[in-house]
Amino acid sequence: MASLPILSSAARPGAAAGAARPTVERILQGARPSFRAAYAHVPFCSHKCHYCDFYSFVDSEDRQERFVIRMESECRAAAALYQAPLQSVFVGGGTPTMLRPNLLARTLSALRESAGWGAGVSAGPGEQNASGTSSQPREFTVEANPDTVTEEVARVLAESGVNRVSMGCQSFHPHLLKALERTHNPESVPLAVERLRNQGINNINLDLIFAIPGSSLADWEADLQAALKLEPSHLSCYGLVYEPNTPLFLRRQTGAVLPIEEDLEASMYELARSTLASAGYGHYEISNWSRGEQRCQHNLVYWDNGDWFAHGPSASGHASGIRWKNVPRLTDWLESDPWSLVQDVESLASDARTGEAFMLGLRLIGGMELSRVAELLAQPGGARREAAIAEALSSGLLERSESRLRIAPHALLVSDSVLCTLL
Amino acid sequence: MPPRRPRSLLQPQLQLRNELTYGAPILSPARTPILAAVQIRNFSIIAHIDHGKSTLADRLLQATHAVSERQARAQFLDSMDLERERGITIKASAVTVHHTFKGEDFELNFIDTPGHVDFAYEVSRALSACEGAILVVDSTQGVQAQTVANAYLAVGGGLELIPVINKIDLPAADPDAVAMEIEQVLGLAAEDCLLVSAKSGQGINELLDLICQKLPAPRPSVTDKLRALVFDAKYDDYRGVVVYLRIFDGKLRTGDRIRMMGTGRTLSVTEINRYTPFTERVKELNTAQVGSICASIRTLADVRVGDTVTLDSDPADEALPGYEEPMQMVFCDFYPATGGESEGTGKRADFEGLREAVEKLHINDASFTFEVQHSEALGFGFRCGFLGLLHMDIVQERLEREGGVEVVQTAPTVSYFIDLTDGTSIEIHNPADLPDPARIKAIREPIVKLEIICPTENIGDLIRLCDARRGTFKTQRFVSETRQILDYELPLAEIIYDFYDKLKSITRGYGTMDYDIICYREDRLVKVNILVNNEPVEALSLICHRDSAEQRSRNILTKLRKQIDRHQFEIALQASIGGRIIARESIKAMRKNVTAKCYGGDVSRKRKLLEKQKAGKKRMKQIGQVSISQEAFMAVLDQGD
Ligand SMILES: Nc1nc2c(ncn2[C@@H]2O[C@H](COP(=O)(O)OP(=O)(O)OP(=O)(O)O)[C@@H](O)[C@H]2O)c(=O)[nH]1
Ligand code: SF4
Ligand SMILES: [Mg+2]
Repeated sequence: MASLPILSSAARPGAAAGAARPTVERILQGARPSFRAAYAHVPFCSHKCHYCDFYSFVDSEDRQERFVIRMESECRAAAALYQAPLQSVFVGGGTPTMLRPNLLARTLSALRESAGWGAGVSAGPGEQNASGTSSQPREFTVEANPDTVTEEVARVLAESGVNRVSMGCQSFHPHLLKALERTHNPESVPLAVERLRNQGINNINLDLIFAIPGSSLADWEADLQAALKLEPSHLSCYGLVYEPNTPLFLRRQTGAVLPIEEDLEASMYELARSTLASAGYGHYEISNWSRGEQRCQHNLVYWDNGDWFAHGPSASGHASGIRWKNVPRLTDWLESDPWSLVQDVESLASDARTGEAFMLGLRLIGGMELSRVAELLAQPGGARREAAIAEALSSGLLERSESRLRIAPHALLVSDSVLCTLL
Repeated sequence: MPPRRPRSLLQPQLQLRNELTYGAPILSPARTPILAAVQIRNFSIIAHIDHGKSTLADRLLQATHAVSERQARAQFLDSMDLERERGITIKASAVTVHHTFKGEDFELNFIDTPGHVDFAYEVSRALSACEGAILVVDSTQGVQAQTVANAYLAVGGGLELIPVINKIDLPAADPDAVAMEIEQVLGLAAEDCLLVSAKSGQGINELLDLICQKLPAPRPSVTDKLRALVFDAKYDDYRGVVVYLRIFDGKLRTGDRIRMMGTGRTLSVTEINRYTPFTERVKELNTAQVGSICASIRTLADVRVGDTVTLDSDPADEALPGYEEPMQMVFCDFYPATGGESEGTGKRADFEGLREAVEKLHINDASFTFEVQHSEALGFGFRCGFLGLLHMDIVQERLEREGGVEVVQTAPTVSYFIDLTDGTSIEIHNPADLPDPARIKAIREPIVKLEIICPTENIGDLIRLCDARRGTFKTQRFVSETRQILDYELPLAEIIYDFYDKLKSITRGYGTMDYDIICYREDRLVKVNILVNNEPVEALSLICHRDSAEQRSRNILTKLRKQIDRHQFEIALQASIGGRIIARESIKAMRKNVTAKCYGGDVSRKRKLLEKQKAGKKRMKQIGQVSISQEAFMAVLDQGD
């Protein structure tokens, strides 16, 4: 990996705005990205969960309006970079649904316009794009905290053309939510789902977390069943990650929190695989399941190593081998208008890009097309990777079919052991 | 390597100890006074560690106006970085000052010595250049193990002692009780103890007077031919080897061609210096004087401490009685640290870097030995021999600091004599070097005479500790009403295995100990092999007593289980004696190594984490199919349980 020296040296957290940090506009100069998606980060939360390492905080100053004005100008600027209407827009956080309804509506509408979807209301799947030609179904996702989905919020989302909502449930057990220091009430989940459906938003994802300290296999089974009862179109199940610099991580360091046994965690994962399979959900990525074809189009852009634009503080983007991250500080981001200042930027050498393509592509349960693999192996470092693939095939960690290469299903939980050899 | 004799105790010392056991007074008055040469007094300052030798030396320098207020700094003679940082003396150093007593000018040559047991050889070298010694005892600590050991060394060498009770400025000082201990344990009259504070300077002038008055003058020459004792040598980056001499007979001038009587080497003296304590160039050294010479010697290996220097043109017939070189008792391996640990320290972590550092340090400290070692687990490194555990520590620290390398160190072991069935015997320093068990008739290990001084209430616990460590009780006697001396014979291997820490914790820091190798003795010692998935790992094998083999093996396997990462398959860990398995453990197959979340904002970070995992794998050592990190080896090889 070769990072741009002057740029990365500017990566000082909390450093004053301006100084040596470049803007997104500057780092994209000369690059020829073909953006397929946009991610927008809303950094507000009503409370900070203990496992969370996203840039989010409880804003005591109420800068929501300034945030939205700034977002609108960034959306206008970004539109100029898009060659075609985007396939997907994903609004995450933080808690986007914390924005007051009128401000939420303004944000969503700015993003829609910028994406080339026009100012109209509907952005449903299979709809015609601005130029009138039929295109990929468009996906417009907003993350929501179940507590925040009031009838009004549900209506604003629907009226703004949002066709997918991703909800952080994590668990339906109060004691496990407590272990994560998550404050929502589990009973609000079915209510939120119902409100969204009443507004015609049927593509709903539920996030679940397993391997929470203190949890048992039975707890996890109950969580899976509770989620299935709501018949979501999509489920993400994550083994809890102790992210550095989170209170949970610290509490593990000090021994205040005891992670569950590796074997138990593995059993939980296997339980999710079998339970969801028999409930008719297709496993399509290490931590993701969908009913029918309702996969998350947005995330598929990531795993396909595609290009996407990043809005908002701390958001990351990718433009043909250039990975960047916006300043993770609301003040700095508000001041750099319309182009965000950049905190970290990497200009990937071809070897690193090849490595990333494997790292991301093999996360999909279906794996990668052999033709794509061959293409990647023709790049520098091909011999080394070919040997690693041969070894993983013979030890049974990888599998090859007529047309695809993939991680063997029993090896999904140890996939990093293979992926790291392909970097 | 031919078997060497253990460092022997001087005969008179043994006698003294025996007498002491029976409570007889042991110190004879000064020997017959001899025709005085110039008014010279040569003495060493000896004590238990931290009782204030170096601080007392500071006061002597100041009271004799050798160092002005402005130049003074604490522990002036401790010049090594490490000495100043740790607040301990490692190298003895010799200085010359002047004092006027009863209108006469006295030249005082004195040597500050280290107090730690590992550096006892430095003390005995220093003593060989002196007629007297100041025995410093901390008035808050009383007589301690190295007080006794060093006092024996001095008396054994025929030196006159001045007992000095130090730190009397402290509120906890109890000089009367300490004087009684000195009388009780060492047989020096309590009333002869001088009370001083090396901090405030109280009693220092009296001490200077007493030195002039009580310490014997050096004996006059017995021959007019030059005989000078090499009592120390050190390496100086600019001048090469500096040789410290005490002239016993004749005189030495710059430009003289000298001969080392032991090695037969001849050299030209290019410069003579004395320390005042600033280096002062002089033209000659006379009988009884102390100083140093340079003679274009490039390595310390060319100088034997204890050798006699004479003139090449007019050599003496007989060398001065020298003394034996100290023997290395504790051994461990040093390997270059790979990856991780040395990242970002700017230190070298390759074998060549380590080799340079070891060779350079050896020029400075010839008392450790080294030989190239290869371990399948840790690669190329050096097996080194040391005088004791602190010495080992200091060498490692100096390698890192002065040599700029990052090293990892294996747990210390002792040397063993292996008697073979064919009647010969070999010495080994490493369990991996043990011959085929079928050829072994007996394994002998070093035994020490251990002397512990401790509070009376801890005696029971310490006896239990020593017994558990295969000790043989010898004697027990009083230092005072509240403290006792406990004598044991104990295998050295038991001492280097976590003994000192146990002693300190049992006595809450009040216990002190001293030991000396007395012999090698046979015991039921066995070699324990450690197997990882049926592959023996030599680097982890150990020699231990049969009765503790299970316990030790289990400890190692447990540590190993925690240290080896799970693999795709289950790993069997076993310990065996010969072909018999005596302990086992297993590491379950890896169940989880996955990046649960990898979305847009995670890609760079997750890729870096995977890269780290990949780099970590590369650095690992392969034992069969099993990868073990160097850190894991080190954790297992590390001391203690
Ligand atoms: N209060 C007080 N402290 C003293 C006196 N003499 C020495 N010390 C302190 O005791 C500690 C040890 O003194 P050193 O002079 O380094 O002892 P040492 O005997 O040379 O120690 P080693 O060389 O390590 O054996 C230091 O902190 C001194 O400041 C004294 O008379 N009074
Ligand atoms: S609600 Fe989500 S973004 Fe906010 S603190 Fe909790 S986990 Fe983090
Ligand atoms: Mg000292």
